[in-house]
Amino acid sequence: MMVKCVIWDLDNTLLSGVYLESGTQPPAADPAMLAVLRQLRARGIIHAIATRNPAEAAGYAASVTGMEFAAAECGWGRKSDAVRRIITELGLAADAVAFVDDDLYERAEVSLAVPEALVLSPEDMADAVGWPEFSPATVTAEARRRGEMYAERRRRQEEARAFAGSRDEFLRYCGTRVTIAPAREEDAPRLHELSVRTHQFNTTGEAVAEAALRALIASPAHEVTAVRLSDRFGDDGLVGASIVDLGGGARGGRPTDAGTGGGEWTVTLLMMSCRAMGRGVIEALLAWLARSAARGGAQALAVPCLVTPLNVPLRLALAAAGFRAPETPEGPSAGDAVRYSRALSLTTLPALPGWATAPEAP
Amino acid sequence: VSRAGTQEIVGELREILARATGREELLGTSDETPLFGAGVGLDSLSGVMLLREVRRRYGVDVAAEDLNLDALASLGTLAAFIKDRSS
Repeated sequence: MMVKCVIWDLDNTLLSGVYLESGTQPPAADPAMLAVLRQLRARGIIHAIATRNPAEAAGYAASVTGMEFAAAECGWGRKSDAVRRIITELGLAADAVAFVDDDLYERAEVSLAVPEALVLSPEDMADAVGWPEFSPATVTAEARRRGEMYAERRRRQEEARAFAGSRDEFLRYCGTRVTIAPAREEDAPRLHELSVRTHQFNTTGEAVAEAALRALIASPAHEVTAVRLSDRFGDDGLVGASIVDLGGGARGGRPTDAGTGGGEWTVTLLMMSCRAMGRGVIEALLAWLARSAARGGAQALAVPCLVTPLNVPLRLALAAAGFRAPETPEGPSAGDAVRYSRALSLTTLPALPGWATAPEAP
Repeated sequence: VSRAGTQEIVGELREILARATGREELLGTSDETPLFGAGVGLDSLSGVMLLREVRRRYGVDVAAEDLNLDALASLGTLAAFIKDRSS
């Protein structure tokens, strides 16, 4: 499992001393750990703080390392609780997290309470930079900005809490821009990364190799679509994608084409970064897919989907967009492959939300 | 929970929904107002928060039992779903 976030202790770990015992001049950053931190940031791994210190310590650590931390937990509670809160706040899986602390007792407590997390001493951490868990095969532009994006997300969420109004009003207030466009060959590394990293919004749960993605992007029988997201808080880059099997009809087909008439478009992969959740992206993509399929002459749009305990958010989005799957008497169980679909008609096409721009199907 | 009537559960769900979305005006949601689509506009994020709170409060995991999430049609259908499983 790849580590997405490193949670750092401060005293005698990220700092070369104890914050509260250093009088007027708090300790500098530990040079070895600072080097590790910078290296990992360049690989798209984000960083957070869990420390038994007053809240000012987090700001001090940010200034002394020159880093923007994605989350910080300061206080005197259990370290494992701090780690769990960070995992929840950042929407991570527990096994995508590493925890670094110089204190043997703290490490033991966290490994016991959060057994999925990788728990390391500062000495381990100096070596760990070379471990596969910390070495993504490719580093995309989105990955390099990941730490900043989490900080932007925190500022966005703070404003959302203070905002009186609906979600749609907030999205407009933020200047949300969702851009839907055919994927280009150079998008393949990021699409591969999304296929590996997305779980809450992923219909198949299977990694798709870059070479396979390039072939699909070039294929006239498939339509690979990339979705980008930005607002005035920041640019999230490429956050979602769909791969459509055109059902025998080639791209650009008209409703009268024999190959597409009466047919069905199948979305063989739908995926989105959980960072884009609640920001109108998946609705825009599903509406756009339905519109494109209908204009391409399809009578139905199908989304085969593996039911997992993690992709409930995706099922919510599909239900909200009018997709249904055949029920079985025994109800859903994890691992079921189901086929969501919705009927299409040119008169009842879903509107594209106002914050989305997309090329219209011919 | 087991003694609570459907209307009582609707009242609790209304509060949960308003808190999960941070929108006080949703305290005025009727038991028949559609949760998806215009109006309440339940999406992935608010939906997950609502389902999480329902599981915590009533011990009912809607997503595990209801493939199409039909229970989320309205607060009335959700309350009936919960009541069915907690009595």
